[in-house]
Amino acid sequence: MIKETFESSIGESYVKATLPNGLKIYILEKSEYNSVYAIYGTKYGSIDTQFEAKGERVSVPEGIAHFLEHKLFESEDGDAFTKYAKTGAYANAFTSFDRTCYLFSCSDRFEENLDILLSFVQSPYFTEATVKKEQGIIGQEIRMYDDSPSWRVMFNMLAAMYKNHPVRIDIAGTVDSIAKIDAELLYKCYNTFYNPANMFICIAGNVDSDAILKKIEASIKTDEGIEIERINEEEPEGVITSYVEQKSEVAQPMFCLGFKEAIKSPERTIKERVCTALLLAIIAGDSSPLYAELTRKGLINDEFSSEYFCGNGYASVIFDGESQNPSAVAKEIKNEIARIKDEGIDKKLFEAIRRGMYGEAIRRFNSVEAVAMQMVDCAVFGCELFDEIKYLKSVTADDVYKRLSLLEDEKSVLSVILPRSER
Amino acid sequence: MSQKFVELVDGVRGLFVRNARFKTTSLSFNIYLPLSEETVADFALLPFILTSCSKKYPDFSKLNYKLNKLYGASLSASTEKFGDYQLLRMGISVINDEYALSEESLVNEASSLMRKLIFEPNVENGEFLECDVEREKRKAIEHIRGEVSEKRVYAKKRLIEEMYKGKPYGISKCGTEEQVAAVTGKTLYTAWQKMLKSAFIQVQVIGAQVPERFFDDIKDAFSAIEREDITDIKGTAGTSHRKNVKVVTDKMQVAQGKLVMGFSSTLYGDDDKSLPLMIATDIFGGGPYSRLFTNVREKQSLCYYCSAGSVRAKGLVTVESGVEFANAEKAEKEILAQLDAVKNGEFSDFEFESSIKSICDSLGSYDDSQNSLDLWYALKAANSEIYSPEDIAEKIKAITRKDVISAAKGIKLNTVYKLIGE
Repeated sequence: MIKETFESSIGESYVKATLPNGLKIYILEKSEYNSVYAIYGTKYGSIDTQFEAKGERVSVPEGIAHFLEHKLFESEDGDAFTKYAKTGAYANAFTSFDRTCYLFSCSDRFEENLDILLSFVQSPYFTEATVKKEQGIIGQEIRMYDDSPSWRVMFNMLAAMYKNHPVRIDIAGTVDSIAKIDAELLYKCYNTFYNPANMFICIAGNVDSDAILKKIEASIKTDEGIEIERINEEEPEGVITSYVEQKSEVAQPMFCLGFKEAIKSPERTIKERVCTALLLAIIAGDSSPLYAELTRKGLINDEFSSEYFCGNGYASVIFDGESQNPSAVAKEIKNEIARIKDEGIDKKLFEAIRRGMYGEAIRRFNSVEAVAMQMVDCAVFGCELFDEIKYLKSVTADDVYKRLSLLEDEKSVLSVILPRSER
Repeated sequence: MSQKFVELVDGVRGLFVRNARFKTTSLSFNIYLPLSEETVADFALLPFILTSCSKKYPDFSKLNYKLNKLYGASLSASTEKFGDYQLLRMGISVINDEYALSEESLVNEASSLMRKLIFEPNVENGEFLECDVEREKRKAIEHIRGEVSEKRVYAKKRLIEEMYKGKPYGISKCGTEEQVAAVTGKTLYTAWQKMLKSAFIQVQVIGAQVPERFFDDIKDAFSAIEREDITDIKGTAGTSHRKNVKVVTDKMQVAQGKLVMGFSSTLYGDDDKSLPLMIATDIFGGGPYSRLFTNVREKQSLCYYCSAGSVRAKGLVTVESGVEFANAEKAEKEILAQLDAVKNGEFSDFEFESSIKSICDSLGSYDDSQNSLDLWYALKAANSEIYSPEDIAEKIKAITRKDVISAAKGIKLNTVYKLIGE
């Protein structure tokens, strides 16, 4: 086992260990806390629909990673929820574009809970009957998302932006795609992506890292990791269409304005991510001149927000919210981007926002959940937990200015959800 | 951990919850007022307008700039229902001085900022400024209109409206669109004055220490205000049973239906006596070990989600579910059958113990979250004795199967709300 300890000036430290089979383990001890938050996850999400492993090239139905997450809760000896019910822990799981995570939080009986987590994630059990039943349940979940305008406005945008990348498809897939899933396919995906070299365990809270490492070492069944090659079909730099709309049961229009970034490598660095977050706060954050102007004109409300949305093979900047006039908001955002490109970044504003973000980064260490989730980001993106705080101390307005080039009008998509009728 | 009350002035008390594990200090003003149709919209706007600008920071860009300079100090504002009362909450959270990059007094600055936002708003000649009022009104109206977008939240809101029609608890916590539209700079000023004069107020500090002079400065700020008719917050009424179940159906163009059921409970009140209602509701439809989850969702696949919750202060139990239209009737029957099972004691020791363990485990985590603690104490303000989360966990461990069955027997279906496709 390779083991490293990382320390930071904010009074926190954590251990990162890598087992010979490739499994990565992150542990941050908080001895003054009562609770623990633990995540066992895999770098496997909705975008991993085409891959090559053990010399075989495979293409699988959309939504299978999420389907697998649902099914993994059931083992031959009962489902995981029932096991956790005996300890009182809160347990859950989620699948996103690039990862699947199984988690629990507890304030008591941590070791038993960790045993449950380690055991069920390593014990797949799928039969034709249980798969069939799940198709019904997930079908309902997909329909629920169909009724969620905030979900639709985002996926309509992604589908208009990406021609080939699977990020354009709903995480849960479609009713048609999940119908193609069977037990055999689930085992194939499980055996590929749930191998230790592709997985991580992240734990924060009142724990003893040495004891945990011993336990994990003894519980991991697989000795050897396997290599996976993810196949990203070539994605054009441009978007498919610059405007898309849908009608839904909303009282006022919702919008999502995305800018597609032309990327040369699949992953974004921590510096790119921090600089882009700073840039978005400068363009449209709540102390920006644009935010004040849009509010004064009655064009946005508190729902307005922005994010840097990136993962393996995709990266874009997204502004979203509700507005009586989405096109006017989009125009003002583009004008503001052009103005900053022209006039440069307001140094005073940059300084205040940099400080604000530094404080935010420290604040996140209050929460064992936020720390564990951030360690998952580290495992997925290959960075370290204190990188952000460190980088925020040295980043300059010029570094941030350079990121402006990713925001190009001709690579933008405006997605709008309109009310069905005038009310 | 320890908690300590300080009476500041009549009906205004400070609460310091000492907990040194956080990197931040959290301060909040919790303001309790009666819920009434006439004042609900004005009161509901107050937390938002007061935390968006002030005399010193007349527009929110300036205010947010200041917050960023305080290392991302974060302001929060909300309006909630507290039984039959309206609860206005405003708070600030700031990183402790030791984490600043240079020597600065962040906590003291943030605490004085918070106090000034409440006592020194941007008012002129007995009115809030029109531009501020219109901005907050627009946002509130858009928020109210936007509720229909999230069907799960909307359906629950409609149930409460229908179940408590004509009663304070049936009043929407933000008011209606029309009520918000009627707000003016003058009515808002009157509401602000009334809040300072007659609301019951609990000022909470959660962190390593109380900021210097924080409580004294608040006391001084109140010295210019004549406190009278102070809201007595112990008057929340229970929910009476209905002879015939009220059924309300709305139609919309949706793919999936919503079925929300409201039950009245004879056991009510937010003190520890009603804790068995919490456990009965949890066994019925709380965690994944509950009757609704294991039977209605997992075994019968009738709903994508199906869960129960309770508002003990009101003696209200609700069941929320997402169902295919065709399954709604079957789901409703099955939900009631599961409630009957709890009433008849047909739940296993496993279900009973799982519920107690799960609730106690989650109470054990409260001390690790400033927000959870802040809300915990804000919602306990009407109790004659203030218990910590650990105190309540101890009381829950003493609850018996008999207590649960007896609480369940007092639960009766009152109102059913359905949202179906057109």
